[in-house]
Amino acid sequence: MTAANAIEVRNLVVRHATASGPLTALDCPVLVLPARSSTAVIGPSGCGKSTLLCMLAGLALPAQGAVFIGATELTALSEARRVAFRKARIGVVYQADNLFPFLTVAQNIRLQLALCADTTQAAERTMALLDQLGLTALADRLPDQLSGGQRSRVAVARAIVHRPTVILADEPTGALDQANADGVVQLLLTAQQTLGATLVIVTHDAGIAARMGRQVALWQGRIAADSGVHHAR
Amino acid sequence: MRVRFVIADLIRNPRRTVWTTVGVTLGVGFFCAMLFFIDGLSASMTQRAAAPLAIDMQRVLTDPVAADLRLRLSVSPSGPAVPGDQVIVTLELTNNGSTPANEVVVRSAPGAGLTFVPGSAVVDALKAGSTDNPFASGLAQTGLNIGTVPPGGSVSMAYAAVVETAGDIAASTVTATFSTREAVLPIAANADEPLSLSDLVTQIRAIDGIAFATPLSFVDLAPGALTTGPARLFGFDADTIAHDPTIRIVQGMHSPGAALISTEAARSLALGVGDTTTVGLPDGSRLTVQVSGIVDLSRARALFSSRRGANLEEFIYIPNTVILNAAQFADIVIPAFSRAATNRGERIKAPPVREVDIGVDRALLDAEPGVALEQTQRIAAQVAALAGGQDFILDNISNTLAVARDDAGVAKRMFIFLGLPGAMLAAMLAAYAGVVLGSTQRRERAILRIRGASRRDLLAMLALRVGCITGVGALAGVGMGYATAALAIGQATLLRASAGTLTLSGATGALMGLGATGAALYLTGRRSINREINEDRAQLWHRPPAWRRYGFDLAGIAALLLATGMVLATSGFEGVPGSVYVGRAVHLPLGLLVLPIGAWVAGSFLGGRIFAQGLGRPHAINPDNAFGLLYRTSITQRAWPLAEAAIILGLIVALGTSLAVFAASYDGAKAADARYVVGSDLRISPDPAGGQMVGIDASQGFAVAGVRAVMPVVYGAHNVILRSDRTSDIANLAALDPLAFGQIAPLDDAHFPGGSAAALLQELANDPDAILLSTDMSQFLRAPVGTRLRVLLARGTPDQTEVEMRIIGLFDRLAGFPDGADALINLSRHLTAIPATQPAFFLARTTNQTDATLAQVTAALHAGAGEAIQIDTRQTALAKDQSSLAALNIDGLLRLDQGYALAMGAVTVALFVFGLLLQRRREYVTLRALGMQPAAIRALIGAEAGTAAIAGCAIGIPVGLVMAYYLINVLRPLFVLNPPYLVAPGPLALVLASVLVAAAGAAWAASALVNRLDATELLRDD
Repeated sequence: MTAANAIEVRNLVVRHATASGPLTALDCPVLVLPARSSTAVIGPSGCGKSTLLCMLAGLALPAQGAVFIGATELTALSEARRVAFRKARIGVVYQADNLFPFLTVAQNIRLQLALCADTTQAAERTMALLDQLGLTALADRLPDQLSGGQRSRVAVARAIVHRPTVILADEPTGALDQANADGVVQLLLTAQQTLGATLVIVTHDAGIAARMGRQVALWQGRIAADSGVHHAR
Repeated sequence: MRVRFVIADLIRNPRRTVWTTVGVTLGVGFFCAMLFFIDGLSASMTQRAAAPLAIDMQRVLTDPVAADLRLRLSVSPSGPAVPGDQVIVTLELTNNGSTPANEVVVRSAPGAGLTFVPGSAVVDALKAGSTDNPFASGLAQTGLNIGTVPPGGSVSMAYAAVVETAGDIAASTVTATFSTREAVLPIAANADEPLSLSDLVTQIRAIDGIAFATPLSFVDLAPGALTTGPARLFGFDADTIAHDPTIRIVQGMHSPGAALISTEAARSLALGVGDTTTVGLPDGSRLTVQVSGIVDLSRARALFSSRRGANLEEFIYIPNTVILNAAQFADIVIPAFSRAATNRGERIKAPPVREVDIGVDRALLDAEPGVALEQTQRIAAQVAALAGGQDFILDNISNTLAVARDDAGVAKRMFIFLGLPGAMLAAMLAAYAGVVLGSTQRRERAILRIRGASRRDLLAMLALRVGCITGVGALAGVGMGYATAALAIGQATLLRASAGTLTLSGATGALMGLGATGAALYLTGRRSINREINEDRAQLWHRPPAWRRYGFDLAGIAALLLATGMVLATSGFEGVPGSVYVGRAVHLPLGLLVLPIGAWVAGSFLGGRIFAQGLGRPHAINPDNAFGLLYRTSITQRAWPLAEAAIILGLIVALGTSLAVFAASYDGAKAADARYVVGSDLRISPDPAGGQMVGIDASQGFAVAGVRAVMPVVYGAHNVILRSDRTSDIANLAALDPLAFGQIAPLDDAHFPGGSAAALLQELANDPDAILLSTDMSQFLRAPVGTRLRVLLARGTPDQTEVEMRIIGLFDRLAGFPDGADALINLSRHLTAIPATQPAFFLARTTNQTDATLAQVTAALHAGAGEAIQIDTRQTALAKDQSSLAALNIDGLLRLDQGYALAMGAVTVALFVFGLLLQRRREYVTLRALGMQPAAIRALIGAEAGTAAIAGCAIGIPVGLVMAYYLINVLRPLFVLNPPYLVAPGPLALVLASVLVAAAGAAWAASALVNRLDATELLRDD
């Protein structure tokens, strides 16, 4: 693992238990994503895209293999250390916004800072971010009172407020119209550039994939194609 | 297809299926356990009621000395007659015995439709009387005294009568009876041939359902016949001794040719086994018998219960007693009394009583006291029909079963009411399970709708799912109900109920429980389906439930307060205490049991409202504290779902609390009642069989370690005569140290009308001539407080002395005298008048009221005094002078209730926590993804569950305490004394601990499950 690489996957195998026996969901001998890169993971449903993202986030452990985030072997950490690492270094966005319905917009964002114990000027940082995203007026609203696009933007804000080095997005635009989808992707790319983070986005949308520096295609749990070209954006 | 889908769904979601089934099982189990419990107890009430009876029925021969006299009546001509016809009534009295019949009075009068022909009466062919009927003269219809009829003699009488109304004429148209100096009760003409005692025994034994029938005779002898005091002579055989365990031979044995003698008589006459004694009989003869054994009869209630109407069944013990065998009594004693009656020319005041003591075959009696009563009454009717008119029957067992039947009815209603909260809770739990789990199926139903399932399909599948769960739950519930009922009252007791009864109860419990829980599950599921299908009406469904919108809880509390005020103003909590001794069933104001149930439901819902409103108020939140931010905002925004869980838990805790308090109060009241019956913690009585005299000064010897105070009591049945200016009566007097009595006995000012116990006892101690009277005796003597009485102390003994005393106060009841003391004086005054006074018993109070001290003191006393004393304690007296209802296993019912309450509490907490998990699993997984540590998530789940649990406890405890107040007051008539209100910390802590531990355990299990959830799927899907 070199310091220039933000994410490195080696011999990663993920299996799911099924009625007919273990099913290999992901088999990835190697995948290296440099720091400050943006990568789109594409492929048909069930090809292992979300599973890959889950492994990169350290939300589950593989049957074998290793995932490195920077110099840290994520898969070798205990559950508690993995959680601590994730909240410090990783931001995750999903198709579902997963906002807490009982927290206001500002509270949802600030929760991430509170979890990171990063309370220095937390209120100011939260409001500044909301201002950047054009959500200031919605700060005290509950998620139920927002549109889908607004909720997605809040979800992105929550994923980047703690300045992660890795941003993982699992079909963040799946439920959005084109305008909102474009807006969300732009937000992610802007954050990636502003924070100097590594962005990995899972998508079915070829247009969105094209906006990323690299495209990795999965087929039945294996990497079927990798543009292998990295463009700093 | 639907069936396969539903079954697959039930199997695929085992936690959801299992917890819902457990809820239904508990509900059905509770219904069934309650019904089985009632069956078992009802079935044991016959046995319980009949157990203390040594003799079930007593067939008494009223006047055996007149058995040889017969009066024959005939009417001629008999048959159809028309007005104006004349008939001749012929009467013939014959003495077939060996002694003359003196002052024979014959009474006869024509019946309806016949008129006496004036001057037609003849006696032995001689005209009798003038014109009126001499056999029924005057307003009193007095009969004709025909003088003495010698042995073998007969007297013929006749008169004419005219027919006034057409009809059939027969002997039954005319009434005729006779009586003699020896047989004062009228005996009908043409009566059946009198049966001898042995014939009666034979015929009674032939009746179906009779276990035994033994002859018994007795007569009271005047002072001097055996000892200087009164004595009683019995005649019975070994059979009687075998059937009556209260007849205790303490030395020697029963021998057909010899006599048994009571311990008191043996001591008084200094007799031992093998000695001979002489009994003076009323005809002047003396009967000399050899003593084959010494017998303790001091507890032989059947032998000494009064057979006289005025004080029927009152225990009047006569210490000096001789027991002959039945043949000796018949051959020697009865003829002696006949001769005495004949020779002395006066009526025998206390003629011999001859009877057949009967035991019913208890094994044949139905377990249900009402049915058993019908059986014993049928047997009693057959017994009474034998030699009808010759005697009467004391049907002890039917009297007892009548009380037990009424008590059983009250018990069933009471148990149903006591079990009702649990049953309601089961239905509420099922509804709660439906609400919590129904909402988690939203996603599955959405998928089904997308695949084309209609609302009808969804409802059909819901019905199928509910049917499967409730069916399995009902079957398991019946088994659980039976097992828990057997655990509470014992398998043997439960099996006393018939198989049919148990089957019916099982079916009823299963159907009711299945209906209630099934309906609750189905209706909540149906509402959930409707809610999703009618999305446009979604806002409508967000309305608060009706109870909250219309303030049913507030209205319930207002109604409760109003009803309580009315009940207190009208003394509605007062009932009639029952007692098997006095043949009175308990009357409970069971209608008032709606009060505790109302307090329970309305109080819990009001508590939930207050809790939710408290949570909903804005709180200062520190947004930099992730845990605080999540917890505080979650409970504030979701106050009502949390309040719903708190209400259910509050209902459970309240039920557990009220049952714990009621159980403690019930035990306390039973112990207090027992103490009241005994007179204190211990009653030490000299054992008649002990052979030792125990004097007043023996108190010091009884002051062993653990005894705080002990005092002697002089007491006896009919031991004094009280004379007022207006009248007099024989009475039961107690003499004791008043100040010590105040310290030792549990006295209640309520039992001393017009004064306090302490003040009256103080006055009794200060004034040697003071006397306290029972209110009944005061009324009978017409002697109010302040008047003076003449009191003949030690009545019927050589020491008897009359003193004058002043009534200083009255009492309704006196602790320690269950047979009823009529008067109370200072012991020192009694000793002054009668220096040789012996105490009847001693009362002792222990240093504390614990069972351990009581056992220690009892052991120490027995070790010191050996067989010389008998000790009754509040423990041994628990069943005395209480209704059969109070003696029931209410403890078992309460344990059953509490057990189910605890189980339901745990299930509720589990449902709440797993409901949280199902509803919020995406939130918890999101928190994991955001970087919240598993321990913090566990703490978050635990905090919410803990909040609900603590709120449930905070609601439930006060509500339960109020509920217990109502329960205790409604069930107050079960006890002799007003029951105390006791809060038992142990059981209460158990209820609270179970809820809190269940919350902690469920939170721990839930957080473990959160870690195993598939984050990939949960976070991605919408």
